[in-house]
Amino acid sequence: MKKNLPPSELARDSRFVRSTIMDAIMDPRNQALAERDLGSAKLQPGRPAAADRARNLMHGIFTGEIQALEGAGRTTFDFDDDEAPFALKLDMARQCWDESRHVEISVKLGEWMGTEIGEYNEATFLYEAACATDPILRLCGVNRALEGLAIDVFNTMREFGDISGDPVLEFCEDWMLADEVTHVKMGSDWLRRLTENDPERRERALEFQRGVDKLFSLGGFRGETDENPIQLARKLRAMAGFSTDEIDEISEISVQAQEDARAMSAGASAPS
Amino acid sequence: MADPRKPRPAFAPWDRREIPGLFDVDESARRVGIYKWIEMRLFETLGGWVATVPELDVKLVLGRHCYHHAWHAELWDKRLPELREMNTTRLTVPANDAMNEFMESIREPEAPELTIEKLVGVYRVLIPRKIAAYTYHLNATSRITDAPTQRSLGFILQDEHDDWTEGEMLLQSLIETEDEVDRASRRQVALEKIVLRAGGITGPGTLGDAPDSSGAQVEGATV
Amino acid sequence: MSHAISLTPEAFTLVKFDAAELLAIAEDAATAVGVPDDVSIAIDVDEALPGPLIASAAEAVPGKLSFWFSGGSFEDPKRLAMLQPEMSRTELAAAFLRGRDRLDGGFEDAPPDGEISERQRAIWDVYAEGRLAQQGGFLINEPRRRYSYRLRCGFSDVADAEYDRVWKAPSLSWTELEEIEGRLAGADTRPEARKPLRHESLRPS
Repeated sequence: MKKNLPPSELARDSRFVRSTIMDAIMDPRNQALAERDLGSAKLQPGRPAAADRARNLMHGIFTGEIQALEGAGRTTFDFDDDEAPFALKLDMARQCWDESRHVEISVKLGEWMGTEIGEYNEATFLYEAACATDPILRLCGVNRALEGLAIDVFNTMREFGDISGDPVLEFCEDWMLADEVTHVKMGSDWLRRLTENDPERRERALEFQRGVDKLFSLGGFRGETDENPIQLARKLRAMAGFSTDEIDEISEISVQAQEDARAMSAGASAPS
Repeated sequence: MADPRKPRPAFAPWDRREIPGLFDVDESARRVGIYKWIEMRLFETLGGWVATVPELDVKLVLGRHCYHHAWHAELWDKRLPELREMNTTRLTVPANDAMNEFMESIREPEAPELTIEKLVGVYRVLIPRKIAAYTYHLNATSRITDAPTQRSLGFILQDEHDDWTEGEMLLQSLIETEDEVDRASRRQVALEKIVLRAGGITGPGTLGDAPDSSGAQVEGATV
Repeated sequence: MSHAISLTPEAFTLVKFDAAELLAIAEDAATAVGVPDDVSIAIDVDEALPGPLIASAAEAVPGKLSFWFSGGSFEDPKRLAMLQPEMSRTELAAAFLRGRDRLDGGFEDAPPDGEISERQRAIWDVYAEGRLAQQGGFLINEPRRRYSYRLRCGFSDVADAEYDRVWKAPSLSWTELEEIEGRLAGADTRPEARKPLRHESLRPS
């Protein structure tokens, strides 16, 4: 088995269909929608098409958990003993089990919400964050950026369950949220330990994380305004070890990502 | 009411533990180092395979078992300094070259259509071998002097038996044709031949020396 | 048998739907659910609204049914901007049933779709899809319908019991639907702020 498996080789059964993040960003409907006032984009039970939006997001969480599982698994394998400490690999193996449970939870939640496996397409940008060849970059991409996004998403969905009175959704999201806080802490701890005497490597890792965080803001998917379906979970991020400055930075990155996406979408729709 | 000052034996009548065992400190440490090396290679392999298997149930089981073996490696890593091996990496090695070749062969399949080959290597060859070696260690070492190792062996064997069962059930559900039976058998035979050359997962004497034809007492026969 | 069906837009520009294919599916669905031949059908698709924004509205006047759909109602969830024929047929058929209800099926007095509550709409959708399930031949995702209903009507035994009744109901009227809504409202223990209200629509006014 080779080291560093590219996203194109992620193994899936026939139910899964892949999409790219660029397909979504370049969709000409984005521009048409941007010109309308559809009210708050927040994912809340009272909003139009809330059930189908929640089902769609839940499927995105499901495929995201599969990719997080695969990313953690690859990190146990891709690095030799002299490249990644034994304890780091143990943490990644533990994360494999956690993500495996999250996939199981997501499948059960999907059944509860009437979503079939593979019902929606799958983008692999989450796994792409797990393809860095420096283990600490990978930890920053996966445990701080990806798992940080998971905190935001799970918190949004937990609130969705609470507001709608859905006991199953709230219960499941709360449990998954607990794991994600642990995973982010894991990433922050390893970042500190592995770069203690190497500030340049730390900066490279943080720069990589910024790039991934921008990607994960998905052109406005995550942020702190009414235009963002997923809200930045400041309190939980702080609990997971993010400083206020770091959270502010993610918020700014999200705004920038939204503006970039608007510009790209407008460019794609403009007559040539 | 029992007299609290009445002398009692250190060992209750039903406690039949004895010393010595078959292993001295060095032998127990040697085996524990090899166990750790095997568990590490195994959890890395299972973690790496997660992304390469398309079957969702198999993917999730591998993710779960990956952690089981990582935890075993951690238990062995913690045991090594207690066995006078402060440099835990020194003994974290394969028993011999053939054993290294065996683990390389186990982790070789990558393509998504090779799930049967992946699972046969782990669940029909390696894990049964581990269960045998761990059980031998459990039975052969002193239940008094090497009790911490035995305690870990007990936890680990529970995992191994459960995982073996689950892996075997996955295999039986995946093997649907005679051709697939042949594939599984060929894979098992190829790996068994390598581990045979290795003399077992901890090298020659993994399960003690074989009884000689005279029927004389041999290592492992009695304690 | 054929119906006079019009489709707006005549050609799609933001999605890769084939208007002729969608019209054929609509004809098939209208026939399957028994829309009379002498009733004309007007379908307006807002192609800017992607999946999972699935929404529709039905209006009826004697001799004519008019429908508005979000483009997401017909979009393949797996393939961006592509038409999903089976799902489209079910969405169209369910809407056509609601149109027929309004025309002469006991819902003649129902307020326009834009004025009914989310709870009322959820019950009506269950009634429509339940009939399609009983008829057979449609792509039905019952758990999806149940979840959408629970989100609007509450996660409770009372709500579930009403759901089961409505799903299998051979007939229902607007008056009966209002009675069901009353029972559901009485059983909904969620704080007032969490109960479904009439919210803004995806449909441009």
